[in-house]
Amino acid sequence: MEELFNIDLDKISNSSNKEALDRKKNLELFFKKGLPNKKDESWKFTDFSLIINKNFKKIKNNHDFSFDEKIELIRDFDHNFIILVNGLLNSFDISFEDKSKVNIEKLNSLDDFKNQSSSNLNYLNKALSLGGFKIEIKENYKCKKPIIIYNYYSANLENKIINNSNKIKLNQNTELTLIEYNVDENSKFLKNTFETVEIAKDSVLKSISIQKSKSKGYFYKNISGSQGYNSNYQNYILTSGLRFNRVEIEMSLEKENSNCFIMSGLSLGEGEHQEIKTRINHLAPNCKSYQKIKNVLEKDSNGIYQGKIYVKDVAQKTDAYQLSKALILDDLAEFNAKPELEIYADDVKCSHGSTSGSIDKDAVHYLMTRGIQFTEAKKLLINGFLNEIFENMSEQKIKTFLEKSIEGQINGI
Amino acid sequence: MLQLQNLRASVNDKSILNGLNLNIKAGEVHAIMGPNGSGKSTLANILSGKNGYEVTGNLKYEGKNLQDIPIEERAQKGIFLAFQYPLEIPGVNTTNFLKTSLNTIRKAKGQKELDTLSLLKLIKDKASELNIDEKFLSRQLNVGFSGGEKKKNEILQMKLLEPKLAILDETDSGLDIDALRIVADGVNSHKNENNAFLIITHYQRLLDYIKPDFIHVLSNGKIVKTGCADLGQELEKTGYENFK
Repeated sequence: MEELFNIDLDKISNSSNKEALDRKKNLELFFKKGLPNKKDESWKFTDFSLIINKNFKKIKNNHDFSFDEKIELIRDFDHNFIILVNGLLNSFDISFEDKSKVNIEKLNSLDDFKNQSSSNLNYLNKALSLGGFKIEIKENYKCKKPIIIYNYYSANLENKIINNSNKIKLNQNTELTLIEYNVDENSKFLKNTFETVEIAKDSVLKSISIQKSKSKGYFYKNISGSQGYNSNYQNYILTSGLRFNRVEIEMSLEKENSNCFIMSGLSLGEGEHQEIKTRINHLAPNCKSYQKIKNVLEKDSNGIYQGKIYVKDVAQKTDAYQLSKALILDDLAEFNAKPELEIYADDVKCSHGSTSGSIDKDAVHYLMTRGIQFTEAKKLLINGFLNEIFENMSEQKIKTFLEKSIEGQINGI
Repeated sequence: MLQLQNLRASVNDKSILNGLNLNIKAGEVHAIMGPNGSGKSTLANILSGKNGYEVTGNLKYEGKNLQDIPIEERAQKGIFLAFQYPLEIPGVNTTNFLKTSLNTIRKAKGQKELDTLSLLKLIKDKASELNIDEKFLSRQLNVGFSGGEKKKNEILQMKLLEPKLAILDETDSGLDIDALRIVADGVNSHKNENNAFLIITHYQRLLDYIKPDFIHVLSNGKIVKTGCADLGQELEKTGYENFK
């Protein structure tokens, strides 16, 4: 394991001796078990150790945050923005908002960083993370425009690892739409991100992640969060184009009437591997969770969805649903789904479904009888398959932007 | 326009069409009637280019061998099939589909592609002629449409694409009387001396509204009788028993 990594802790400037010791301890803990592999049940479809060993050697931790690229903002709709360079907060602009209500700062200390993951990558993150960003929305404030997080990467990241940690906090009766937009350099690097999300009573967080273009990066992201009474969390995962991506989400619906929606539409190309693993904890009555995961798989790509719904004994009247659908376009492509329900309450509605199949030949025929060429017909159908996840998105301009992005990703097929 | 000589078709060695002859000229309306299983829909499918049939015979469309023309080119060259069971296509927006289809066909014909605004206006105008509610246009193609709405949507496509040869496969089935009249009006307003219709139906009802020049009776994969509009009335009385 230590051959795979060439980590230099001395390059990290620590605020205290305790921090230095903690980093050392966490790194040792990480090295003890190493990267997760297939023997770990939750990684059974993704042998991370094997994949990383195949593609990297002597991985160094990144200390370079120099950046001189021109920032190109999305013009399709008004928005606030945050610029991250190699995972660290570089600058931000929240001119559409009341600045006393929206607080954005660099996340420096991991002391109060609570996440529920027991993954070994958590030790690695704690050992090496240099922070990230922290967003807090003050009570009774609804953001007027979305905040786009532009994720830029410098050109010299080859064979390096980025570890960062973010914190998103919505106080009571607030609203925020957060769009994470990955603008990638072409180097092959590893990114290990941990994020905590806190959504208080009557608040709404919409979180969307999207990739600008194809990337050679290997991304792991762990999101863990809690929801208060009558809160709403929506997460759209649209990161097509990543060579490797695993997103883990653990959401706890702690108080009554909270809702959690996880939607994903991914189109996977040659050599690409993406996994979504979720765990929704229904800990209070009358909560709803809804997950819809759609994958289009080309060539030898690999898509995975592991979704778990946990319903505590007190969580009566839970309404939980999960569905994965895969459109498999090549004999070499593979899609694996593992739905899990763990239910201790007796008055609940929980269901799951998973389908996979190839493109509907009759639908292609129908479109072709209307003059549309085969490849165009196929694109229309793939596009339609993925766009279905935006059905209930109300912000028209964002929806149009996302649909356009997806169309661009499909045209790359 | 369309000449079919000795058309034979089979699926998995089961023969469905057994030497069908049909000649359709521009300006004509032909109706094909016949009992269930006589091969009516197979004929429509073969003309639209559907795969899965063993087809032999001399099939000509505008002087060219029909079987050499790929499916999408048939549409681009003016063949249109209104499906008996129009497909539901989830996720594909109806307007978007109509735009793509219309502009592809215009492009193939050497016409200028229409910009979004003119397209939308055209689609809305034609939809209102057919009494189609605008909200259907923003919905997913045929998803959750009633039987009648699906059929109207087929006629809308026909009006937009302005085909030379329109084949209507049991477009009347599943339509109430009002919808039937609207669909028939749609066909009649599209009719002119340069285009032709092949109307496949079980019932005389539709032919009360769309006057055919010829009625053919299809039985066991062959046209066994051809007559003028009166033949339909006769069939309504006597049924297909005499033709089996």
